[in-house]
Amino acid sequence: MSQSLQKQIPLTERGHRVFDMVRKFARGAEEIEISLISTTGEYLRFGNNELGQSQSTKNRTLSVRLSSGKKQARTTTGRLEESFIKKAVEKAVSQLKTSPEDPDYLPMLGQQSYQTVSRYHTRTVEESAETKAGYVGRAIELARDNKLLASGVLGTSVDEGLIINTSGLESHYRGTGGYFSLTMDADNGNQTGYALSTFADISELDAPKVSETALERAKLNKAQMEVQPGKFDVVIDPHAWSEMLFFFIVSASAGYSPDFGTRQYKEGRSYLSGRIGEKIMGENVILEDDVYHPLQMGPPFDGEGYPKSKLTLVENGELRSLASSRISAHRYQDAKPTGHELPLPNPLGETPTNLVIRGKGPTRTTEELVGELDKGLLLTRLWYIREVEPRTKTLTGMTRDGTFLVENGEVKRPVKNLRFNQSLLELFSNIEKFTEPVRNTSFTGTAVLEPGVLAKDFNFTSVSPF
Amino acid sequence: MGRKALKPTEDWEADVNSTKDLGEQLAKVCLETASRDNATYADIRLVNTVIETVSMINENPASEESNDLGAGIRVLYQNTGWGFASTDEVDPENIRETTRKALSLARGAAKIGSRLTLAKEPTHVASWESPRKKDSLTVPTETKFEVLEDATSRMKAEGVVARRSQIISTKIEKYFANSEGSRIYQDIAQTGAQIVVAAKGPSGIQRRSEQQYALEGYELIDAMDLPGKAPVLTKEVLELTRAQGLKEGRSDVIISADQLGLQVHESCGHPIELDRVLGYEANFAGRSFLSPDQLGKLQYGSEHVNIVMDATLAHGQGLGTFAYDDEGVESQRKYAIRKGKFVGYLMSRGTSQSVGEPRSNGCMRADTYQLPIIRMTNVSLEPGDWDYDELIEDTKDGILMVANYGWSIDQKRYNFQFNCEKGYRIKNGSIGELIRGPGYSGITPEFWNACDAVCNRKSWTLWGTPNCGKGQPQQVMGTGHGASPSRFRNIRVFGAS
Repeated sequence: MSQSLQKQIPLTERGHRVFDMVRKFARGAEEIEISLISTTGEYLRFGNNELGQSQSTKNRTLSVRLSSGKKQARTTTGRLEESFIKKAVEKAVSQLKTSPEDPDYLPMLGQQSYQTVSRYHTRTVEESAETKAGYVGRAIELARDNKLLASGVLGTSVDEGLIINTSGLESHYRGTGGYFSLTMDADNGNQTGYALSTFADISELDAPKVSETALERAKLNKAQMEVQPGKFDVVIDPHAWSEMLFFFIVSASAGYSPDFGTRQYKEGRSYLSGRIGEKIMGENVILEDDVYHPLQMGPPFDGEGYPKSKLTLVENGELRSLASSRISAHRYQDAKPTGHELPLPNPLGETPTNLVIRGKGPTRTTEELVGELDKGLLLTRLWYIREVEPRTKTLTGMTRDGTFLVENGEVKRPVKNLRFNQSLLELFSNIEKFTEPVRNTSFTGTAVLEPGVLAKDFNFTSVSPF
Repeated sequence: MGRKALKPTEDWEADVNSTKDLGEQLAKVCLETASRDNATYADIRLVNTVIETVSMINENPASEESNDLGAGIRVLYQNTGWGFASTDEVDPENIRETTRKALSLARGAAKIGSRLTLAKEPTHVASWESPRKKDSLTVPTETKFEVLEDATSRMKAEGVVARRSQIISTKIEKYFANSEGSRIYQDIAQTGAQIVVAAKGPSGIQRRSEQQYALEGYELIDAMDLPGKAPVLTKEVLELTRAQGLKEGRSDVIISADQLGLQVHESCGHPIELDRVLGYEANFAGRSFLSPDQLGKLQYGSEHVNIVMDATLAHGQGLGTFAYDDEGVESQRKYAIRKGKFVGYLMSRGTSQSVGEPRSNGCMRADTYQLPIIRMTNVSLEPGDWDYDELIEDTKDGILMVANYGWSIDQKRYNFQFNCEKGYRIKNGSIGELIRGPGYSGITPEFWNACDAVCNRKSWTLWGTPNCGKGQPQQVMGTGHGASPSRFRNIRVFGAS
C-alpha cells in the first residue's frame, strides 16, 4: 500500500467545480475567493521496539472568503458535496452582513505569475508501507541487538493547495515531505540517543545513517556526570534547535504574534520595533527568508496568492528588512509587498515562512566544530523552549537525548541534562563557526534551514537528576 | 495492493442531519469489513465538528467558521498489530477502503509486534449531551463582535501596543462503535475566550491576559465579562512597564489557581501518562520519572497534595469532561496522588494491565483524523482547607505568582521553570508591591513536597487548557485542571531582566 491510492480527480479540476458552486450560492458578495487544501499522510510510529501506532490520514479543507465593501467573512468546510458547500457559503453570506468593516480591506488580487518550484516527488508518494516498515524494522532490530528500545516515526505527506478568486487569481501548489525521527534509549530514558532526517524525496533518506547516529549517541550517553550550571562554550548540532530558532520570528509578549512583519514593527508590537539598521547580532550571521532555496518547502505564494520574494532579514548582524504585504504597502509609504501575508482576514500581521539561517565564510561539519572546541559541551537536542523575556529574546529550555563534555576537541563523556536561560540575540553574537544549514521542520510545521554552530558562553542555570 | 481505483463518489450525499444515523450506517460497513478480513478488534469514530472563531486585534476583525466531518478507524490484527486510517470521505465505499487500509497497516505492524491484550470494558449503548445553557454557535457572530470590540476599545491607552480578544465556540458530535458491541453517541459543546493587552515602557514589552475554556455554552462568555476585565488588565499592564523585577533567590511562594493549574498539567498530568512511561512517546513528548516501581511508594508531594484524574461531570465542566473516551471506556474518577503518594496513571485498554489494573480509566482521546492516544482528562489538585485571605495573612515573607507567561519542563518531567505575567510581594500577611515577570523553578517531587497549604473550594477553579500537544504527527487536545491558590516553601525565584 502507498499514498498513491487517492481518487484521481485532480485538485485543480475539482477546485474549479467547487468555485462554480460557491459563485452560485454567494449572493450579495462582491468578491469571492476559495482555497482548497488537501493533505494526506502516512506515519509509521513505533515505541518500545514495537510498531504500535501506524496511521494513514487524508483530509481536504475548503475555505471560502467573501467580501462586500470593506466587510469580509470566511467559512471552512471539510465536505465538498454541493449541500455542504451551499451551507458554508450561506454562513459566510450571513456573517458578511453583520461583520464590522475591516479598515485594512483591499480588493482581491488579480492573476499572478510565479517562479516554478519543484517539490513533488513521486517516489515519496509511491513508496510502499512495507518498504518503510523495513526501515523501521531495521532500526528496531539494531536497538534490540544493543539492548536498547527504539521509538520514533517515519512519516511521509503530500500537501496540495489551490487558491481561486473572482479577480482572476489561480495559485496552485503541491509538494511532498517526510521525516525519520528516531530515539534509542534504555534505563527508563536515563540513557538516550537521538537522530533526525527530513526529506522531500524519500530517495534522500539514509535510514541506516539515522539508526547508526541514534545508536552511537545512546551507547555513549550512559552514566552521565553532573556539571555545575554556568557558562559553557558549546557545539550545537544542526538538527538540535529548530524549536529555539522559531522564537526569532514569534513573541509571546503580544500573545504569540509574529515579529518580522511590517505591521507589527510599525505598531510597536515586535521586539524589533525601531531597530531597523541596528546591529542585533554578530556580523557573521545572515538570516533570510527564501522559499526558492533548494532545501525549502512550501508554495511560492502567500495566503492571498501574492508571489513570495526572497528577503534578507539580517545581514552582517544588522536588521535589514521585514516581511510585508499589500496591506502594509497600502498603510505605510515605505513598505512594498513581499508575499508574506497569511490567509485573510489576518489581523496578526505578516511573517517569514521559509527561514534560512547561515554563517558568512567557510563552513565546517559538526565533527569539525567539535574538533575545534577546547572545552565545552556538545548539544544534540534542545527541548521545550519558551520565551522568558522578549526584548533580549531570552529563552529557557532543556537539553535532552545526549549532552556531552568535550575537551581538547574530543567527546569525553556524557553529562546530566541542563536547563538554560539564554538570550537568542546574545547567542547569535557569540557564534564563531557554522556548518552548512540543514532542513528541519519546526513544531509548527514550517521549514527552517539551520546550521550547527560553535558558540561561546551559553548560559546554563540548573541541572536535571538524569 | 492490486485493488481497482475507487470510483469518485462526490455525488454521494452524507445524511448529516443526524451524525448518529450516519455513524450507525458507516459503522456497519466498517465492522463487517474488519470482521470479514479477520481483524481481532475494530472501532470507528465518526466525528462532526463545528468551530467558530471570532477575533479582534486592535481595530481589525476576523471571523471564521469551520465544519468538518470525518472518520477514524482503528483495527487490531491477530492481537499483535494496530493499524489506524482516517478519511474525510464518509461514504460506504470509502469507509470500506479506509478499513482495509487500517488492516493493511495492522498486518504490517503485526510482523514486528508483540502480543497485546485489551482490558475488559462493558459494552455501552448510550447517548450523552454535555450541559449548556446557551448554545454558543447560535449566538449571532455580530453579538460576539460587539463584545470583543467593546473589550478591545477599553484597552486603548498611551503605551499600549497590542490589544487582542477572541471567542471560540465548538460543537463536536461523535459516534463511536466497536466490534464488541458498544454504540455511543456524544454531543459536546465547548466555549472559550481570551483577552490580551501588551504595553511598552521602560522595562520593554509587558503582557496581561486572561482566558478560560470550558465544557459550556455562551454562558461562559457572559460570566467572563471581557469588557469589564479589559480596563483592569490595561491598568495592570501599564503598571508592569514601570514595576520592579525580582532578584534571584529563594522564597516562599503562593501560586495563583490559574498558574497552578498549568503546573499540575506539566508536572503531574504528563508524567502520569502511562504510554510515556512504557516508552511509546520517548521520541517526542518524552518519558516520565514516575516509573511503575514507584507506584504506591513514591512520596510525590506533601500530605496536602491530592490530585485526581476525573472525566466525570461531577468534577465540573472542564475540557477533559466527557461520558466515554475515544475507545468507548466510561469516564471515571481516580486518584493519581493521594496524601502526597503516587497511586495511579492515566491509562488505556491496551496499557492498564501492564501496571496490574484490570480496567482502563478512560483516557484515550484524539481529533477526527488521528489515532487515539493517552491524554489527560481533568487532572486536578483537590481543594484544601485554607481560606485565601487566611493564607495571605499567614505568610510573613513571600511572592504571589499570577498568570502564566512561559513554561518549560524536561522530558522526564523533573526540572521545570515557569514565568508569570505579574507577581506581588507578600510582607507580614499583606499583599504589597507589584513585580513584573517573576519566575520560579524546581524539581517536581521536591516542589510538591514543599507544599504546606492548599486553599479551599471557595477559591478553586477548573481551568481549561485548549492546546496540549503530544504524539507524532502532533495532536492537540483540550484538558482540564482544577486548582486553588497554594503555598510552597523555600522555592527558587527569579525575575526577567
